[in-house]
Amino acid sequence: MSRIAPPKSAPVSKRDPRTGVVQSQDDVCPVCKSARYMNPSLRFLVNPECYHKMFREQTFEDIKVEREVDIRKKVGATFNRREEDFETLLAFNDYLNDVEDITFNLINGIDLEETNKKFETYTRAHGKEIEENAQMAVQERQSFSAAQKLERQQARERREAARREEEEEKREVEENRRDVLNRLASGADAETVAKEGQRVQLKKRMDRQAATERQRQLQAAEDAHSERSSKFVIKGLKTKQKPEPEAPIDPFDGLRLVDSYFTLQDDYIWEGIQEARKDVKQTAGGYDVGDYAHRSLVAAFSGLGIFVADEITQRDQLAQNAGVVSEDVGLKDAKMIHAA
Amino acid sequence: MTQHLNEDDLYRTSSQYRLWSFSPESLATLRRKTHELAITRASQYAPKSKSSLWQDGTAVDCLNAEECLRLVQRYLDQVRTTSDHFKWPVPVKATAAQYLARFYLSNSPLTYPPKEIYKTVLFLACKTEATHMTLSEYARRISTPADEVLAPEYKVMQALRFTLDVRQPYRGLKGVLMELLNLAEGRVGEVECVETGGAKALQAEMLALEVPARTAQTMWSAKAAGKIESKDVMDRINAAYSAARTILDGPALLTDAYFLFTPSQILLAALHLADEPLTSFYLRTKLPLDSDLRPKILTTIAACAELLASFSGSHILSKDERAALEQKLEGCRDPSTRDLVGSHAVAKRGGDGGEEAEEKARKKKAAREKHLKEGDDLFGPSLNGKG
Repeated sequence: MSRIAPPKSAPVSKRDPRTGVVQSQDDVCPVCKSARYMNPSLRFLVNPECYHKMFREQTFEDIKVEREVDIRKKVGATFNRREEDFETLLAFNDYLNDVEDITFNLINGIDLEETNKKFETYTRAHGKEIEENAQMAVQERQSFSAAQKLERQQARERREAARREEEEEKREVEENRRDVLNRLASGADAETVAKEGQRVQLKKRMDRQAATERQRQLQAAEDAHSERSSKFVIKGLKTKQKPEPEAPIDPFDGLRLVDSYFTLQDDYIWEGIQEARKDVKQTAGGYDVGDYAHRSLVAAFSGLGIFVADEITQRDQLAQNAGVVSEDVGLKDAKMIHAA
Repeated sequence: MTQHLNEDDLYRTSSQYRLWSFSPESLATLRRKTHELAITRASQYAPKSKSSLWQDGTAVDCLNAEECLRLVQRYLDQVRTTSDHFKWPVPVKATAAQYLARFYLSNSPLTYPPKEIYKTVLFLACKTEATHMTLSEYARRISTPADEVLAPEYKVMQALRFTLDVRQPYRGLKGVLMELLNLAEGRVGEVECVETGGAKALQAEMLALEVPARTAQTMWSAKAAGKIESKDVMDRINAAYSAARTILDGPALLTDAYFLFTPSQILLAALHLADEPLTSFYLRTKLPLDSDLRPKILTTIAACAELLASFSGSHILSKDERAALEQKLEGCRDPSTRDLVGSHAVAKRGGDGGEEAEEKARKKKAAREKHLKEGDDLFGPSLNGKG
């Protein structure tokens, strides 16, 4: 159909209450020229190819808008990446910009060839991603609608429960009054009857409150355990954390031996060291003779600053204060002093 | 998160520091307690003993604490000579002596006479210090049955609380020697936290050191004429080293030095006795003059040196005295530990008494054989064990 639709002149149009489609009185079918005047229930469909009122339900008054909406839908179906897929805001905005370029070109018919090529390359390159994203969107929608339904149901139940409670209360009050009257009528003492009545009422109210409290707690516990995700889903840029490069393994886990009484020299003129350096039997295996020197010097000073007598006395006193009893280790001959 | 350990922290992790270091009071208390325990035990087995020494019923003729100590010391010396006889390296000697000393902190000679223990201790030491000799060879060379050597071993291990490491001063002494020689050569300039004038100044100071006192143990004496050269200083250092080494070999092992001081302090004390000016000079380069540990360290070293110097070879029991004491010991020792070999064998077998265990084993074997035979029988094994 290549006929241009008649321009809408007069705003003699009203919305069809059923379908919500805008109708104007002088809508005319191009083929058979039957006007709406003749046939009020005439529905005009739009052909998506040329956007003439032919085949599909038109949802917007202006067909240009309709066309644009369709184009956007198509583009959106392909370029469906989200903000969470991007690491930086700049990247996301760039992406949006590109998409918008393509859309604009398609709508206004600029560089159609190039744009279509871009479109196709993107589709081919990210086919799988597009599918995944589409699936995710579908799932989200489902879960969202399910959540909403659940909420509505709960609200309904709560309302029901509240109404029921009110009824119960009213009924009880009535009963109580009737009961009191009966008892008065049958000749009981007025005061005692009144007091009893009050007590019974109070008790009933307390019980009911306790019951509701318990019910609420149960519900809260259930909610806590339910698998419903949190009500708020924060959308935003995906925070990608770069994995820290693993530090080289430290076999001593931070312990370091410090020579505090001496500095290791490069060479010692003592003949033992000198001979060992030349001795093939010692050095062939890769043994460093300086190690021996270091070890000897560490041994020379290890314990120099430790005053055994004082420290042992201190330790014994502490042990005594703590009330440690010397254990019998079970040897026949001697009691070992527990030197812990 | 780095944690810095210095050499003192390393020593604090050793079992020698944690379990086998005492103050003089706690050492005395421990020994006294051990001895008292042995005496009370002795009064229990006294009436059973057939020896004539017990006729008056009281434990008068037991060895007293002093005699026990001297007997143990005698055997420390014996351990040393035996180790030399085997020509083992000096760590074995020190380790064995320490094992014996530690053993007799918690046990008394009244229960385990040292004569039966010291061979085991020496064997254990040679295994620990990586100069292992096979048991048969060892037993042959000291003309003892191999069982006797092995029998007290577990007891010894228990008494040592299974800590076999003995920190010794010998390697440290070599380290000090190395450093002193380098100092004399003028190679050591900077030392941590200590103000030195530089390598040359230190060397000059060494050359100008005063001569060791007459009472010093070193063999070195200053040349009468001519100035001292670095070669002379090196001779002096070597002489001091060998003198210190002799001290460490002897008095250090035969006194309580290892219990009361750390190996570092022991070796510096020995060096102090050998050549006092040299040691003070060395310590001057090691400990800054204003550090608050310095006076304390110096007093500790002086105390240790006193302990080492106060020992003399004449303290050790002579052969006759030892024999006399052992005779006395024979009369008052614990009879239940007399047969160490037997009790060791029983313990190994894990049985209560030898004969009962054998009976049971035989019965079991017979029952098993019978069951097997019945299985081959034409009509199968008997039901319920009855015919």
